[in-house]
Amino acid sequence: MSYIEVENLTKSFTVRKKREKGHLLREKTTVQALKGISLQIEKGDLIGYIGPNGAGKSTTVKILSGILTPDGGRVSVDGRVPWLERKKHVRHIGVVFGQRSQLWWDVPILDSYCLLKDIYRLTDADWKTRLDELTEKLDLGSLLRTPLRQLSLGQRMRAELCGSLLHRPELLFLDEPTIGLDAVSKLALRDFLKEENRKNGTTVLLTTHDMEDVAALCRRVTVIGHGSKLYDGTLNELLARYDTKRTVTARYDGEVSLESLPESCSMSRDGEDWRIVYEPAKVPTPELLSRLQSVGSIRELTAQPQNIDHMIAAMYREMDL
Amino acid sequence: MRIKAYLSIFRMRLKQELQYRGAMIGGICCQAFFGLILVALYRALYAGHPQTVPLEATVSYVWLQQAFFRMLGATDNDLADRIRTGDIAYDLARPLNLYGYYYSRVMAQKLTGSLMRAAPMLVFAALLPKGWGISAPASLPALIAGIAALMLGLVVSSAIENLTVGFTMRTLDPRGIQAMLNLLMMILSGSILPLTLFPDAWQRVIALMPHTQMLDAPIRLYTGQRSLSELLQIIGLQIFWAAALLGLGLLLWSRNRKRLTVQGG
Amino acid sequence: MDTVKLYLHSMGMLLKSHFQYPVSFFMQTAAQLVMEGGEFMALLLIVDRFDHLNQWTPGNLYFFFGLMAVSFYLTEIFGRGITGNFPYLVRSGQLDTILLRPRGVLTQVLCSATDPRRITCIAVGVAALVMGSLQSPVHWSFLKALALTESICMSMILLLGLFMIEAVFCIFSVKSVELVNALTYGGRSACEYPVDIYPRPLRILFSAVAPFALTMHVPAAYILDKPLYGWPVWTVFVTPLAGLAVFAVMYRVFRLAMRHYRSTGS
Repeated sequence: MSYIEVENLTKSFTVRKKREKGHLLREKTTVQALKGISLQIEKGDLIGYIGPNGAGKSTTVKILSGILTPDGGRVSVDGRVPWLERKKHVRHIGVVFGQRSQLWWDVPILDSYCLLKDIYRLTDADWKTRLDELTEKLDLGSLLRTPLRQLSLGQRMRAELCGSLLHRPELLFLDEPTIGLDAVSKLALRDFLKEENRKNGTTVLLTTHDMEDVAALCRRVTVIGHGSKLYDGTLNELLARYDTKRTVTARYDGEVSLESLPESCSMSRDGEDWRIVYEPAKVPTPELLSRLQSVGSIRELTAQPQNIDHMIAAMYREMDL
Repeated sequence: MRIKAYLSIFRMRLKQELQYRGAMIGGICCQAFFGLILVALYRALYAGHPQTVPLEATVSYVWLQQAFFRMLGATDNDLADRIRTGDIAYDLARPLNLYGYYYSRVMAQKLTGSLMRAAPMLVFAALLPKGWGISAPASLPALIAGIAALMLGLVVSSAIENLTVGFTMRTLDPRGIQAMLNLLMMILSGSILPLTLFPDAWQRVIALMPHTQMLDAPIRLYTGQRSLSELLQIIGLQIFWAAALLGLGLLLWSRNRKRLTVQGG
Repeated sequence: MDTVKLYLHSMGMLLKSHFQYPVSFFMQTAAQLVMEGGEFMALLLIVDRFDHLNQWTPGNLYFFFGLMAVSFYLTEIFGRGITGNFPYLVRSGQLDTILLRPRGVLTQVLCSATDPRRITCIAVGVAALVMGSLQSPVHWSFLKALALTESICMSMILLLGLFMIEAVFCIFSVKSVELVNALTYGGRSACEYPVDIYPRPLRILFSAVAPFALTMHVPAAYILDKPLYGWPVWTVFVTPLAGLAVFAVMYRVFRLAMRHYRSTGS
């Protein structure tokens, strides 16, 4: 049996609609947040859980972490049913919500960590070694005596991570951990997560909209939309499906006309630059290049990598999300 | 021209107030319950010790207080939040007088808040058995005079609130000063104890304060404790305070505007 | 035991947070003093005009006022997580964080807030109690002191139970929370006075639903040497347990409600 087993998970919410004119009471509608999701996650996996806003990502995470009770389906995390054995379960997991704080706003973060020690019933020695380890890796040493409210966003996220990892969880849920972070903080955070996963074997489930995070961290991705699972596999395979177009930019000496290019290519002009988008499946790259060369003398030619966000957007469009 | 802008702020606020029907209904029930408790208390107190102020007048006083309770307190927390978070920058960027902008908001809030609550509350109070519910006004002219005075009271009340907000804008955490000013409002407007039951000597002084202009004066006109011959005097005092408080508020706000530190960011 | 340690630790941190803004803290504490002082002044004015209330002398009335003030504001200090902070916990999503920790939900909710500013309200309440005790006058004995202590403790537990109704409303995201205020704040206002001055429906409400009459007024009548409706003295120590009963019921309801908690935001 896998470390995490999710079978046919369903959850719906009743939402009260705005009262319409002429109706005394507001109507209620039921929104199916999860329509039978199944998942298997092995210990030590690093999984990206992606999907557009409102797809059901957070609902899944909240059920897996014991906050919500599902309507139907079976969940087992290391043999535990999260919502039935909440206290036992949450001792082994850590959760970071990118937009929420679990630390205290007005007191030094060290005080918050002290309180977490009491909450998780950690021994002084264990807590101390783990804290030292985390402060070193997350570079928090100089910040321990600073109240959370005085920290920058990047520092705050590192502090939050430290708080979520003090009790050595085997399973870590990350919800948009890099939102709003600058490039340096993002890279540092990714390195840390990789290392934590590799050294301690922590299983990580990452929900995010930042595809670069996923590309950098996750071996496997699961895509959900409208409450159903749409894809489960490696990121590369997923991208290969939607990675059908290539873009090159060419600059010529003198005026040229590109009308002789095949119809499946689309082109646009920006000053001296010609931007050509083509599908290698229809027009093989060598053929395109030789055609481009035949028109005039090329001064500069650049090939652009396909933007990952565009691919995901294309995927969401195709899946009708 | 400008007036139109203030009017539309007023309308916006009205709509916003109308959104929270559920909370409003709960609020009315709670308020009615408080009213019943107070009436029961005063009935028990009167039973052993009759007063010059008749019981019916005190009971009416209680119900009118409960009905128009929203006209008094209800500090606009929204603004305090906007100052704290720095959102006030948006308001400062608008081509409107900030005082006028908030004055129309506050007034709309007080007006809708009390009108929507007052109507059901007064119906409820009128349906209660004699001695428990609200009595009819002293006379028809007294009722009209009371309503007129209530309108002026709204002008005064909004001006007081804006003045309070003006003071609180000067500190980053306004809760302390807010609580003090609210308490002053609660006592001097007769919310804690009807002013008619204060010692007679105190009443003469309190009657001159701005807080009594809001609700106490209109209620006394309604119950007939102040006769119509005093009407000019009452309305004159109300207009005096309205003008004074509006002037003070405008002055304070224009000074604040210069030194307003925009926080956050 | 270690739940107590956690609670004390949390309270310490909360105090530390409050003292981060000392000026504002002292301002607000002073404001609370004036506020509760204002309430007490209203009672003094009432006494000044009406002298007595049925069989109750001014001293008795001060005693009732003090008993309610002390119980209510002690609850606000030690139970702020339930009496005021819960809606915020739900709205801000902090209840999620609480659920992510291996401790009882109610314990953590109680650990989430305190309102130390109320200390001055308690001072007013104690002053009223002392005034009432001197003027009544109360002939103190060990049993009477015990009755007072039990009365305050049980009233606090009763208040926590009543405020939990609000918490349950919040979990189901019912908006009309103000309705519950009728029981809590309404109960406070009404039961600052002995319940026997009220008409029958209110007496029933405050004996059966929100039994302040049982947790406060029965022991107070005993302490003030008033007739106990012919009941034997030991009932004075039994009736306050009604507070515990209300709390127990609400605790069950709260646990059930938490199963339907639906969390906020994405």
